Amino acid sequence: MHKNIWIGMGLSLLLLGLGACAALNSGLNLPTHHYTAEDLGEAPKQCTNCHEARGDTLAYGSFNHTATWLQTHRQRAMQHETVCSMCHQTSFCNDCHATQVELKPSLKNQPETYRQMPHRGDYLSRHRIDGQIDPTSCFRCHGNPKASQTCVRCHG
Amino acid sequence: MIITEWSGRFLWLGIIGVLCLPISVGAAEIRVQSDTLFRGFERDTATQKNAAVIPFYEYLQIDVDTPDEPGLAFHLYGWGRADLADNDYYTDATEGELLYGYLEYSREMARFNAKLGRQQVFEGVANEAVDGLRLSSDLGPYFSGSIYGGLPVALDSDNGTSGDSIYGGRLAHHLAGWYDLGISYKKIRNDGTNADEITGFDLAAYLPYNVNLSGSSSYNLESDGWGEHSYELHFPLGPVALRPYFQEFQYEDYFTTGANSASPFRFLADTGERLRVGGADLTLQAGDSWVLVAKAKQYDYQVLDDSSQYAAAQATWSSGAGQSQIGGEFGYMNGNAAQNDYYLLRLFSYWDQLPEGCPVDFVSSDAIIVDYDQAIYGEERSLFISLAAGKKFLDDTLELKLSGDYSKDPYFDEDLRGMLTASYRFGRVL
Repeated sequence: MHKNIWIGMGLSLLLLGLGACAALNSGLNLPTHHYTAEDLGEAPKQCTNCHEARGDTLAYGSFNHTATWLQTHRQRAMQHETVCSMCHQTSFCNDCHATQVELKPSLKNQPETYRQMPHRGDYLSRHRIDGQIDPTSCFRCHGNPKASQTCVRCHG
Repeated sequence: MIITEWSGRFLWLGIIGVLCLPISVGAAEIRVQSDTLFRGFERDTATQKNAAVIPFYEYLQIDVDTPDEPGLAFHLYGWGRADLADNDYYTDATEGELLYGYLEYSREMARFNAKLGRQQVFEGVANEAVDGLRLSSDLGPYFSGSIYGGLPVALDSDNGTSGDSIYGGRLAHHLAGWYDLGISYKKIRNDGTNADEITGFDLAAYLPYNVNLSGSSSYNLESDGWGEHSYELHFPLGPVALRPYFQEFQYEDYFTTGANSASPFRFLADTGERLRVGGADLTLQAGDSWVLVAKAKQYDYQVLDDSSQYAAAQATWSSGAGQSQIGGEFGYMNGNAAQNDYYLLRLFSYWDQLPEGCPVDFVSSDAIIVDYDQAIYGEERSLFISLAAGKKFLDDTLELKLSGDYSKDPYFDEDLRGMLTASYRFGRVL
């Protein structure tokens, strides 16, 4: 009980600190939203089409949505969720990253075959191999009691 | 819809916030996106063979804000499903989840941001849905921070929410053009006992010659050990980009065994396995149209004293206009046991540059063949084929997409599925 009070007080102090520091100037100085396709006349594709790979505020080159972006975006999102949110709403991420979704992302977006989507095709058969080879990648999205509802049917 | 008592309260708070918006801001907009999916297929259930399953899904997103201006906003997204055939295929004929519903306040100065309600927190070691409050802000030119606290949504079905809590945060130090460094912490309690407690750090260093180093490590405070180290380098060499990477997982510390873990993974923590993954991707941008990728990956298991390898090559050709693409991928998994070996071939197309007069706006196709070294349920091969087409109506506010899938694989002799998606976008100034 006392521990919770201390934690609560600590968090309150942090809150006050955040509030006070919010009055300071920003280091990254990024806008809330990126220009849209309507603003630009065409859909923005790669950051470095317009920005320097090493910009003054951001290393834009590391945010290029390359052919391996599905495998590499985790580190960028972990550090710069605000950069992701300049173009994507959370609902975009929720196809894969959500507490409970029933349709696998590749099924919900099956017609968009150009999108890099995990578990395309007969993944029911393939998952028993991929799951043995590297179960850590399954755990990221199916690791909590609600997200594992799709696993529980067979795995108990 | 499963809406817990707490998320219900947050939802009411959000609705009250929305009602306040027209008073507090000038040109607030409301935008609604509805994706309705009708699926149809057949399955054997406990009571019927070849029973029809006709689920329809509704994904609803509502955003109320002032575009391009900070201030008050409200965001909501969730899904629901009902089985129109109700042939006992699903455990529950209806299902659903509120994925997020929060009131947001942001300021331009220092990028201060506050979110109250159900939200997904992506923050260093945290990738959790939280019913609560999250605050983030730049802390001067070189630091930024965020904290969050509330109830863990993942545990609301486990003996209710009494005694549940989640809190944590991330403090980051950044020097533009040089590095970003963050430390983060997350603690989850379920029914008054610790369910998960993890800390970690993340790094992005911008080295000379446009070489980037990035990665993260996480430490499990419950089991007292490092769960994961993941690091990668990115070398741009003209049209070629090389990405070597290394990962190490200690199962005992990575797969948590508390209430926040799940059944298929809990037993892995007891194996004491240590997995090391090393590999590299090579990407070649050939002209404006072609992208070629080669991938190689090595998995080493310390306790099992064995290894697996995966190699793949993929090629994509883009027309340069719209999203039109054709491409393919060929991969080979050389598993630690013969039963884990397979070849994979995927070919796909998506074409939205169709001639005028064509009754649809895009057509797409997908074909995947997987050849297993050892048969699964007597089948050595999986074949999956999908065809789709779509068209927009009403000034592009309504899009209809129709797709049909065929699968012949170890689990289904022949499986035919159909899906009709209706996506509708609506927006107006309040």
